[in-house]
Amino acid sequence: MSVIEHKEAPEGSPRRALARQTKPGRRQRGAHRNTFIAALPYLVPTALLYGYFLLYPMLDSVRISFYEWSGFRTQEPTWVGLENYVRLFTGADPVFWKAFQNSVIWVALAVLIPMTLSLLLALALNRKMIGRNLFRSVFYIPAVFASITVAAMWRWIYNPTLGAVNQVLEGIGLDSWTQQWLGNPKIALYSIFVAAVWQGVGFNMVLFLAGLQQVPPELVEAAKLDGARGPQIFRHVTVPALRPTFVVVLILTIINSLKVFDLVVGMTGGGPAQSTQVLALWSYSQSFSNHNFGQGGAVATVLLVISLCLVVPYLIWALKGEED
Amino acid sequence: MAATTVTTAHAARTHLGREAGRRKPRDWVGIGLWIALLLSALAWAMPFIFMFLTSVKSKADINALSTWDLPTTFLWANYADAIDTGNLWETGANSLLIALVKVPLGLLLASGAAFALARLRFRHHKVVLGLFVVGSMVPIQVALGPLFNTMLRLDLLDSRAGLILPYLAFGIPYQVFMLYGFFKAIPDELDESARIDGASTFRVFWQICLPLARPALAALFILDFVATWNEYAMATTLLQSQSNWTIPLAVQSFSSQHATDYGSLNAFIIMSAVPVLIVYLMFQRYFVQGAFAGAVKG
Repeated sequence: MSVIEHKEAPEGSPRRALARQTKPGRRQRGAHRNTFIAALPYLVPTALLYGYFLLYPMLDSVRISFYEWSGFRTQEPTWVGLENYVRLFTGADPVFWKAFQNSVIWVALAVLIPMTLSLLLALALNRKMIGRNLFRSVFYIPAVFASITVAAMWRWIYNPTLGAVNQVLEGIGLDSWTQQWLGNPKIALYSIFVAAVWQGVGFNMVLFLAGLQQVPPELVEAAKLDGARGPQIFRHVTVPALRPTFVVVLILTIINSLKVFDLVVGMTGGGPAQSTQVLALWSYSQSFSNHNFGQGGAVATVLLVISLCLVVPYLIWALKGEED
Repeated sequence: MAATTVTTAHAARTHLGREAGRRKPRDWVGIGLWIALLLSALAWAMPFIFMFLTSVKSKADINALSTWDLPTTFLWANYADAIDTGNLWETGANSLLIALVKVPLGLLLASGAAFALARLRFRHHKVVLGLFVVGSMVPIQVALGPLFNTMLRLDLLDSRAGLILPYLAFGIPYQVFMLYGFFKAIPDELDESARIDGASTFRVFWQICLPLARPALAALFILDFVATWNEYAMATTLLQSQSNWTIPLAVQSFSSQHATDYGSLNAFIIMSAVPVLIVYLMFQRYFVQGAFAGAVKG
């Protein structure tokens, strides 16, 4: 059926001939309706599950954000209009701003540091060398660990007296650098970020490696024949060919930064003194620890809006790009 | 910086190679790069080494020795302790059960939807696809509060079945997106000729499209298994009683309640990751393929 709307239908195919005979407009509409009915059995179970357990809860957060509710079944939610948002944006909830600020810092750092690192690793490991697969594995393996597990590991590594970081610093005579890595409100967020870099670089590296396979070798050869040198080839051949990969990695990095949750829960729980609070965790804490589903919903709505502002343009770009 | 060195070195090597014929020049840049990589890889592996060393140390050893010292005696009993304290068999069985029900079922559902979207291109199918994909990119924490209410209303809170339903929904978007790309790449002539031979839509789906998508399905199976095994946020929201816990909940509880029991804590962490490590080592190439498909399709 798809043949009708597909340009590359073979010239002699009977359906093609049929399509030419009938009036194109009517024919097309009828075909669309038929394909839609045929598609329903394949689409409906999936769409129902997805809609009911994912899409609807996401949108329901917006509804809840207009109510005040403890989350207990015995209590009825009361409508409070925009009050929850007023609290957020007038500074009545200082933790929200701290969380917002931390999420922004996290996004900025994540775009700068792990992206650069993973690109460098991918470029280096794209060469043929001894032990290449072993290297790739070492950098990738942290990515298959659960974030909550990585958090538990790093909590031990950061342990003030027995942890590896402080012991290594003492061992090389930098005693004054030893820290309460997760206990100092000024640096705790960055300590968590280091664990995130350790875990996340491998995945981006694999994406970049995949992107590098797309760099046409003929182009590199041609550039060389024209006398281009290494840096020039990199700038004028490799970088343009990597552009789609850059966009994918960038979007995924930003989205994943907004999703940071497990690592913070596992390493500091948002503390000390809410200094490592992030939006995703604050929404959760407001609902489930502070029994304030309305406030939690408002934070979730802010997070939803930020995510959609990033995701929707990206999706339009991605889906337009692969036009049929 | 390294980027330029890489390409320069590469260019230099092939250039020299052409001029000098058989004689192999020493590739100093390459050697320097290799050493830098070796050092970085060692740094990357360090947390694993520390974790293993701690997992076989007694409490006395942990207090007296440095992190990088070998233990005076290898105390494998930490592992047995960890299995008991962390309830490893029960939580492991829960995680495995959930993953083994969720992953195949989820893939089947996702392939159905992807097939409908890619092969039966009805009007506005791209809008529907977009709606599906949005869900994979919005942080799941946005949905947790209402999801809790939904499960409460359905009386499915604190049950493994109750966790599988949102897990299915959670995995669908990404898989639909991936499989959509894969199904779309199948030439139209293939199912056209099948249809002319009288095959139904279902047979086209089941006997033509699904078998062709086997590599993509394998990659998604692996990725989804790891993601399901590792999922924490929804599990901690929806599960309460310890007998229903999955591995990530057990890890978190172990690390907060027996935090000073460093030896067995690290032993537990290692054991909790064994299944995903096995899966990774056995199916390494699928990880690359999965990421590859993602990078190409966008």
